[in-house]
Amino acid sequence: MWSLKGQIITIALVLAGGIACFISLRGTYLSLEDARSAYYDRYRFADVFARAERAPEELIEKIEALPSVEVVESRIVEEVTIPIEGLARPAYGRLLSLPSGRPPATNDLFLRSGRLPARGREDEAVVLEAFAEAHGLEPGARLPVVINGRLRDLRVVGIALSPEYVFAIRPGALADDPKRYAVLWMDRATLASAFRLEGAFNDLTLRLQSGASERPVCFALDKMLARYGGVGAVGRDGQISNRILVQELSQLRALAGMVPLIFLGVAAFLINLVLARLVRLERPEIATLKAVGYSNCEIASHYLGLVTVVVVPGILVGLAGGFLLGRNVLGLYAKSFRFPDLDFDLSPSLVVSAIAVTVLAAVGGALGAVRGAVKLPPAEAMRPPAPARYRRGIVERLGLSAFFGPSGMMVLREIVRRPGRTLLSSAGMAGAIALLILSRFGWDSITTYFEGTFRREQRQDLTVAFARPVDPRVVGQLARMPGVTMAEGLRAVPVRVRHEHRMRDSILMGLADEATLRRLITRGGGHEVEVPKEGVLLTKTLGEILHLEVGDRPLLEVREGARPTVRPVIAGFIDESIGLQVYGRADLVAALEGDTGAVSSVLLKVDRQKLDAVESELRRSPHVIDVSDVIADMERLFDMNASIMNVWTAISVVLSACVVFGVVYNNARINLAARSRDLASLRVLGFSRREISAILLSGLAFEVLLALPVGVVLGRYWAQSFMSTVDQETFRWQVFVAPRTYLLSVAVATLAALASALWVRRSLDHLDLISVLKSRE
Amino acid sequence: MLSKTYRMGEVDVRALDSVNFTLDRGELLVLLGASGSGKSTLLNILGGLDVPSAGRVFFGGRELTDADEDELTDYRRRSVGFVFQFYNLIPSLTARENVALVTDIADNPLDAEEALALVGLADRLDHFPAQLSGGEQQRVAIARAIAKRPPVLLCDEPTGALDSRTGILVLEVLERVNRELGSATALITHNAPIAEIADRVVTLADGRIQSERRPGRVVHARDLTW
Repeated sequence: MWSLKGQIITIALVLAGGIACFISLRGTYLSLEDARSAYYDRYRFADVFARAERAPEELIEKIEALPSVEVVESRIVEEVTIPIEGLARPAYGRLLSLPSGRPPATNDLFLRSGRLPARGREDEAVVLEAFAEAHGLEPGARLPVVINGRLRDLRVVGIALSPEYVFAIRPGALADDPKRYAVLWMDRATLASAFRLEGAFNDLTLRLQSGASERPVCFALDKMLARYGGVGAVGRDGQISNRILVQELSQLRALAGMVPLIFLGVAAFLINLVLARLVRLERPEIATLKAVGYSNCEIASHYLGLVTVVVVPGILVGLAGGFLLGRNVLGLYAKSFRFPDLDFDLSPSLVVSAIAVTVLAAVGGALGAVRGAVKLPPAEAMRPPAPARYRRGIVERLGLSAFFGPSGMMVLREIVRRPGRTLLSSAGMAGAIALLILSRFGWDSITTYFEGTFRREQRQDLTVAFARPVDPRVVGQLARMPGVTMAEGLRAVPVRVRHEHRMRDSILMGLADEATLRRLITRGGGHEVEVPKEGVLLTKTLGEILHLEVGDRPLLEVREGARPTVRPVIAGFIDESIGLQVYGRADLVAALEGDTGAVSSVLLKVDRQKLDAVESELRRSPHVIDVSDVIADMERLFDMNASIMNVWTAISVVLSACVVFGVVYNNARINLAARSRDLASLRVLGFSRREISAILLSGLAFEVLLALPVGVVLGRYWAQSFMSTVDQETFRWQVFVAPRTYLLSVAVATLAALASALWVRRSLDHLDLISVLKSRE
Repeated sequence: MLSKTYRMGEVDVRALDSVNFTLDRGELLVLLGASGSGKSTLLNILGGLDVPSAGRVFFGGRELTDADEDELTDYRRRSVGFVFQFYNLIPSLTARENVALVTDIADNPLDAEEALALVGLADRLDHFPAQLSGGEQQRVAIARAIAKRPPVLLCDEPTGALDSRTGILVLEVLERVNRELGSATALITHNAPIAEIADRVVTLADGRIQSERRPGRVVHARDLTW
């Protein structure tokens, strides 16, 4: 066993890598999933969410009477700005009402510290933990908030978490930004008075009876709220925090299923390789044991027992590594996804399943070799194994043997004689290369989109969003602000698109004629698409969902105001990366809304030197609910993800290198053991060390060279398959693998292969040339 | 005077003890001795595979005992042909390719086909070792050893793994290549009758040269029996 220590260590490391990935990814997934379901359950996360402009409180009774509805909570939800002193750019927030004197029936708060606002206290607020942490707010701190155009000095009385804001992101933002996005809760009566919504509500959350479907309830709610400015009810899958969380969980689950398989598959293959070699070496011992009466079962269990030498350290290192890695990965998630209790749970069932999967892989790998030992008749085992059979093949038939020379033919015939081993070795290494590509492609795709297409789509520096659509003259006013070089209005209207029995909620974007700041760019070729003069343009995916074709006239229902409907002709589709949109000319939207071209946001091109001045000027306007700096948002997105990406890359590099090192090292050792007599003979005949090294390592080089393109293609394929697990209605990143990622993957594999080959090569210096003269094959 | 001492655990084993020895150009020398007599150690030193504990070895005017690893490799590559007891053919190469292994790295080699024809295997060029008999395999090994036209041909028990009929065939081949190529051939054996084919016979016992003689009448290999 001692002579196999290098092989045992490398295989144990590959196994450990598999277990560590399994434990960390699956463990993180389970910890998050458990935390989510416990949190949702305990804090009564709603099943259905609906918005309206102003609906009377009496409606609640009717809603409660709807089939499947268990409980209804009405509330007031409004957008506010938070002009914190010293913050260069204003923070924005969402203010929600809490029922006076009782905990909410849905979406209850988990108080990290402090208490809920007291009944009738107009200045008390509870603040979302992420925002409070970002600003160092504690209960007792003061917070300036502009509520319905009036600046109020609020007192923070509690720091809380909400199942509704596990992931809190400013609507329309590229990344979460706890410093600039707040969620606040205040007493219902205070908000009712501030927004003149006494006896009324503008937001509704419902919990349904267990197992009930959301759809009929949403449908009924839409009907009931239509006359009160309802903008369409959504289920949990339409709730942004939950949607992002579910999305993340499904990606994590997919990774947890895919990644460990590479390691365990490679480990099984290596165990098979080494054990088969051991069985060949120990033929005489097996024969003797069988001759003296040992049963096949005893021999099989002896060899299976040897597997424990690899499995036990592999499991121990893997469990420890998995736990540490899992805690760190979960820590990364915990920065953005907030739960009352989120601990990495190394549950007994997780450990047992990791051990079971590992043992299964190891035993699966060992079985083939053990079967060889069991099937060996004692009499045959006494004799040395039959010499390997070689045949002349295609190379000779093509007359290429002279080209390769005898040394080349030695290498080629070994490859041809064991095509399975060659292919499996290459497949293992290809898996390692693909793993690295898989770990980095998301980042490549996103950065490429943002650095390329996104900046071509959105050329503005600032996006100014208004609480309600404003007169188009505002565009001109903003254009005249000092520092602003260009201004363009944009109208976004929530719509429901229906075609036959299918429907989807979408946004109708009215773009200004000859819009230059907001353009439509396809994700494939990156070419620009004009907004048609007549009809509308649809996101290609939306067209596919609704089975629409050019020339069709789907029904567009506006989900606000008087809820007008229109049947515009579809002029074309645009294959874009984010969301499901309908684009039309601004006049089409104005006609639909029956106004003079009101805008819901204005895009500004600003002299970057004067950006802060423009922002603070805009902040003064009570109608502005958000000003976002596109470049700063993008940079923030990159900064936040770059550090996570670096951690992932480092982990993937180590794991991939382990796999490649393990495969090359074990193959090289086995080749060396099997061919040391040949190589020593060649040395006696006058071959130099370099020449015999080339013969030994060329076969491995071939396996690596085969693995490189296969790994690159496999990595791309995995990236594509992984992308298909991403919610296609939200993101459709064009899968892009940057040249640097290909280079990194190939370099890691090549260097790991080279390192292990050189490690083994040292053994060639110690070949016993003398014993070979006397040794029988 | 060559000496070679091996350390085996606590004990020093003297494999060669003050041996003074020459191998002359073109001669066929048989080193005769029982197992453990030191003949293999002597052959290994002559072949540049081992170094003596004391004494000096010369090949032509070149001192081998001073040579480093690369020089010894070069010496084996250009000047020495080896024939092993168990043939040591590369199983994945045909007879022709096994010989070509050596002709590819030699300076002025015979064609692989020519070398195989010289040992009577012109019709077995494309056979793999596993498809050849023991005698045929040893003849391929001889073809491989002589294909580089080595000044020195070292044969370590070349008939040791063969029956007497096949062994005689192999000795005939060695006799012929010694005659035709003029390589100084040292053949070690424990099989006394083989000594009859030698120009000179050196008998070793306990690491020392016990006797050295030139047989009065050289017997052809085909006339041997054992």
